[in-house]
Amino acid sequence: MPPIETDDLTKYYGEVRGVEDLSFTVEEGEVFGFLGPNGAGKTTTIRTLMGFMSPTAGTATVLDADIRDAAALRAVRANVGYLPSEPSFDENVTGRRLLDYHGSLRGDVRSDEMLELFDPPLDRNVREYSRGNKQMLAIVMAFMHDPEVLIMDEPTSGLDPLKQEELLEFIRREQARGKTFFFSSHILSEVRKVCDRVAIIRDGHLVELEDVDSLLDRSGKIVRARLGGTVDPSNLSLSGVHDVEVSGDGTEEGTAEGSTEDATTVSFTYTGAYEPLLRELLDYEILDLSIEEAPLEDVFMRFYGTDPAERVEAVENGAAGKGEAEEADV
Amino acid sequence: MFETTRFESERLLTASGVIGVSLAAFGGMMTLIAPGVIGDVDIAALLDQFPAAMVEGMGLGHMATIEGFIAIELYEYVWLLGLGAYIAYTAAGSIAGDIETGRMDTLLAAPISRPRLLIETYLALLTPIIIVNAVVFAGVAVASRVAGAPLPLADLAAVHVLSVPYLLACGAVGMLASVAAPRRRIAEGVAAGTIIGTFLFETLVLNTDLEWLGGIAPMRYYDPLTILTAGEFDLAGAAILLAAAVVLLAGSARLFAEGDIQ
Repeated sequence: MPPIETDDLTKYYGEVRGVEDLSFTVEEGEVFGFLGPNGAGKTTTIRTLMGFMSPTAGTATVLDADIRDAAALRAVRANVGYLPSEPSFDENVTGRRLLDYHGSLRGDVRSDEMLELFDPPLDRNVREYSRGNKQMLAIVMAFMHDPEVLIMDEPTSGLDPLKQEELLEFIRREQARGKTFFFSSHILSEVRKVCDRVAIIRDGHLVELEDVDSLLDRSGKIVRARLGGTVDPSNLSLSGVHDVEVSGDGTEEGTAEGSTEDATTVSFTYTGAYEPLLRELLDYEILDLSIEEAPLEDVFMRFYGTDPAERVEAVENGAAGKGEAEEADV
Repeated sequence: MFETTRFESERLLTASGVIGVSLAAFGGMMTLIAPGVIGDVDIAALLDQFPAAMVEGMGLGHMATIEGFIAIELYEYVWLLGLGAYIAYTAAGSIAGDIETGRMDTLLAAPISRPRLLIETYLALLTPIIIVNAVVFAGVAVASRVAGAPLPLADLAAVHVLSVPYLLACGAVGMLASVAAPRRRIAEGVAAGTIIGTFLFETLVLNTDLEWLGGIAPMRYYDPLTILTAGEFDLAGAAILLAAAVVLLAGSARLFAEGDIQ
């Protein structure tokens, strides 16, 4: 049985939709990304999976326990680690006392090892903790009982970039030990770094469920070339070329090189093989060429409509919102 | 076992100590001045100035004895109302507060059931209840010896021991408010308000045709004035209070287990 499986999972808050008809399966040993902007229903899904809320319709199983069965779910929690989106603790006790307490509730087999990687100031009261320290304390608690399945809501939020990297690296190592991860994010770069598959959720509905690799394949490569002379976009008739943009002569690079000769910068998305592309480009004098994977942001954007405000928000959240303590979803 | 009770008890320790010492100081002072006040002031003449219903309703006639004076100055109001409301208020803030701050998510991620969490949190209220009782008992007992008017220790001990079921019932009222109210502030207000409201209601309906309605007030089942002045212990009342606490707690646990944590 897969560690997590949802079956038409639906949660309404009165009349307000949280999520609707979510069906997906998280396989053993995979890192499953759950992607969407704030308010899409990520936290609702996670908190329903944890049994904090009952589904309105449909259901899900976590390690074979039906989430509607409180006793069964409680029994498997010993094998589930959970990292909330905004970890909150008693403010007037030290981190050490909290670790003792939570360790006594769920068991503690590796907090010492965890504390070498994530080291909040344990002897200080939590009141004095920064957001990042609270996040680290929560990470230690999520892993301290060495659970099989980890459910994490925006795990890198609040961490500084160095710690974010460490956490992602740690997740990869844990995956190699056979652990299963289900984690939500609105940060695409981290998703592509660690996730095997992603589910994209929008307005409470699942809009895409795919391997990260095929998602990237399908989205193609971004080709940027600075070519001598003038280039007529219609001449780039190669199949697999989309969204060609031509910008006069490459002013920025031109200025930097002190060059004033005629040059054209073209950029386009390309979904074909390398060879025909290079042949095509060799018809020109190539001054500069870069071929990169399309940023997942572009892929992501396709699922978020064309409303300009929404696009801007998606870009900000995805590309620029890294490391910010974002507001928790509904 | 009882990790949550232990943890929550530690959090209540400082407040328990402060309240215990403050009330012991207040009670001790009242005990020390009691013989002087009773000797110097013509209480009978003073009470004539008050409406007869008030004198009877509040048991003010007992003011002329040391036992009655202490019962009225300390136990009838500060204890019944003040401490009762404090315990209810603290209980009300517990679950509701943890849900509001999001701390409940971290707790319930552990393999612990919601009813168990609620019961353990409730049991932590025994910390302030026992500490405040012990400290104030000692304070008043010593002060009455110093004042040269020693109170019967058995009666004084009974006042404190029998206040435990009363305060536990107040705590259970608070737990129900904590899981039923949508927000912490509301839960706290409702819980403390219930204690104060039922107290006023019970005083109001006393000696009227509606006196039986005062049966909903927990104060009906614990009367420190009678214990101290007449040496009568209402054990049946204590049993009723404990039974009420169990019922309220069972209802709270059920409500908490079934609802969504939002």
